[in-house]
Amino acid sequence: MRQLVSWVASAGVGFVRACVAVAVAMLVPAVWAAAVALWIWWWDGDPWSGTVPFLWACIGTLALSRPVCGMFRSLVAKWTGTVIPAGYRQAGPVTQMSTGYWWNGHSYERTSRDARLDQQWRTRWRDPAIWRDLRFTAIAPITVGVICAVPLAGVGAAGFGLSQPVLSARLAGVLGLAVAIGGAPYAWRSVEPVAVRFLRPSPAMTMADRVDELTAQRADTTVAQAAEIRRIERDLHDGAQARLVALGLSLATAEKLMETAPDQARTLLREARAGAATSLTELRDLVRGISPPVLNERGLIDAVRALALDSPLEATVDADLQLRLDPPIESAVYFGIAELLTNALKHAHATRARISIARDDTGILVEVEDDGRGGADMRAGGGLDGLRRRLTVFDGTVEITSPAGGPTRVRMMLPCESL
Amino acid sequence: MRIVVAEDLYLLRDGMVRLLQAYGHEVVATAATGPETLDALLRWRPDVSIVDVRMPPSQSDEGLRAALAARGEVPGLPILILSQHVEQLYARELLADGSGGIGYFLKDSVFDADQFIDALERVAGGGTAMDPAVVVKLLSSGSSSRRLGQLTEREHSVLGLMAEGLSNQAIGRRLFLSESAISKYTTSLFGKLGITDDDDSNRRVLAVLTYLNNP
Repeated sequence: MRQLVSWVASAGVGFVRACVAVAVAMLVPAVWAAAVALWIWWWDGDPWSGTVPFLWACIGTLALSRPVCGMFRSLVAKWTGTVIPAGYRQAGPVTQMSTGYWWNGHSYERTSRDARLDQQWRTRWRDPAIWRDLRFTAIAPITVGVICAVPLAGVGAAGFGLSQPVLSARLAGVLGLAVAIGGAPYAWRSVEPVAVRFLRPSPAMTMADRVDELTAQRADTTVAQAAEIRRIERDLHDGAQARLVALGLSLATAEKLMETAPDQARTLLREARAGAATSLTELRDLVRGISPPVLNERGLIDAVRALALDSPLEATVDADLQLRLDPPIESAVYFGIAELLTNALKHAHATRARISIARDDTGILVEVEDDGRGGADMRAGGGLDGLRRRLTVFDGTVEITSPAGGPTRVRMMLPCESL
Repeated sequence: MRIVVAEDLYLLRDGMVRLLQAYGHEVVATAATGPETLDALLRWRPDVSIVDVRMPPSQSDEGLRAALAARGEVPGLPILILSQHVEQLYARELLADGSGGIGYFLKDSVFDADQFIDALERVAGGGTAMDPAVVVKLLSSGSSSRRLGQLTEREHSVLGLMAEGLSNQAIGRRLFLSESAISKYTTSLFGKLGITDDDDSNRRVLAVLTYLNNP
């Protein structure tokens, strides 16, 4: 009984889905049918009278192809959970040059609006994805459209045949009903394989996008690295190096004064000792900023536990102690967590934080949650954006949920297949 | 005192040995790697040893692990850890067994030789000696700072020095106060924190640290 109910339910759902799929797939054919009807209506013996309806049909197809493909993508995602990436080209940033003109990656325009319009036009119509969309709108009616129309046709046949008094028509009606009921739960399933096969970005396009992405990442990394090296150099030059020179001077003077003014020499030696201690502290902070010693000695989990202990927040760490990762990834995750804890304390005024580090088949998932006042966002050039960029190098992603009033939860995901 | 010095950098090891000898102590053995350290600690059972955290062959926390292993074999074996950096995490691991005779200092502490030797002697006597940097972190870390809110500023500094392992007498010297004044402060802060007072100085530090560690 229960099986029957669930089967009827799935048949009902299937029928509705088939109707939706047919409606979407037949949008473009409907435009063409309307154009043909218009042509026949206008027909006066002159074959050129078809020009206007034909043009309208072409424009309609071009305008509809993208929304139709978008609808199919969202239908497939909703019904089966398969996400098909759209893979359209993204417009780059529009920047004002020193001449006052705006550069959009292709041409100079007088105003930013012109630059943006020009760019939209170019990215839209020079995108190879436009051909893929057109191909799909042509293929969809004769594949998905036809298959999904079967239950509809069955219902139509049943309705028509059973209302006729003739026996053969009634038999055909019963047959139609059987086709409709039998086909309803299955017909809509043809949408997924067809959409996956024809709507996915082509390997060449995926590759091109990936190359663009990697180029941008490389530029980011190089710039970040150079900045980091400059910072270290500056810190050493202004801090420890200068102090050591001063230390040497004090010692030389003390050596000279040892005989004549031992009291003065003793003062100098005391100062020298204080200077040495200060430069050690500075070097220690610098080392911590480059690569925290606990991270080298114990790995990520203990380093994060040490971080939680040192933080003025009441922080708990929930992690698998056996987890070991490649040093660059450990370092990226460590500094990410350190930054999030600092943010929680400084900007969100939190008092507690919870850090969890977990690993699954595809990668590692780090979650940092605080009880602060929320409102964190990924402003370009901000700390969170920097975090995202650091993780992008490893194909990692950052997700932030931070409603105003808190709490803030940040999830960092890093794929590591070699685990 | 009979001392073992475990440090992988020759210059530092040599300097330390000379310093200890200058103060009239005997260095019975030196070690430059983790396994050597463990061997020396177990073979010589010194009055106190000075051990560096990071040592070959792995250049990770070999020294610390050797120290923990040796204390596993010989409970209460006095060890002073000297490191280029101090970590609360390591300090807590060292204090975890509760048997005392533990010190954890930054290498800079040798700059003030008198205090360094003083700390070394405290550890040798079964006491505790913690670097002020560790204590500051312990007292300011999340769960502790809230619980310490009820202490006055003076009580707070007394607690800090107590956590370093100093006796009431030594705390009095540092704060320029009489010993009786210090014991008044300690009684009142122990009362506020709900720690039962104890004459044994080592247990005193452990009580403070345990209180701070456990929510």
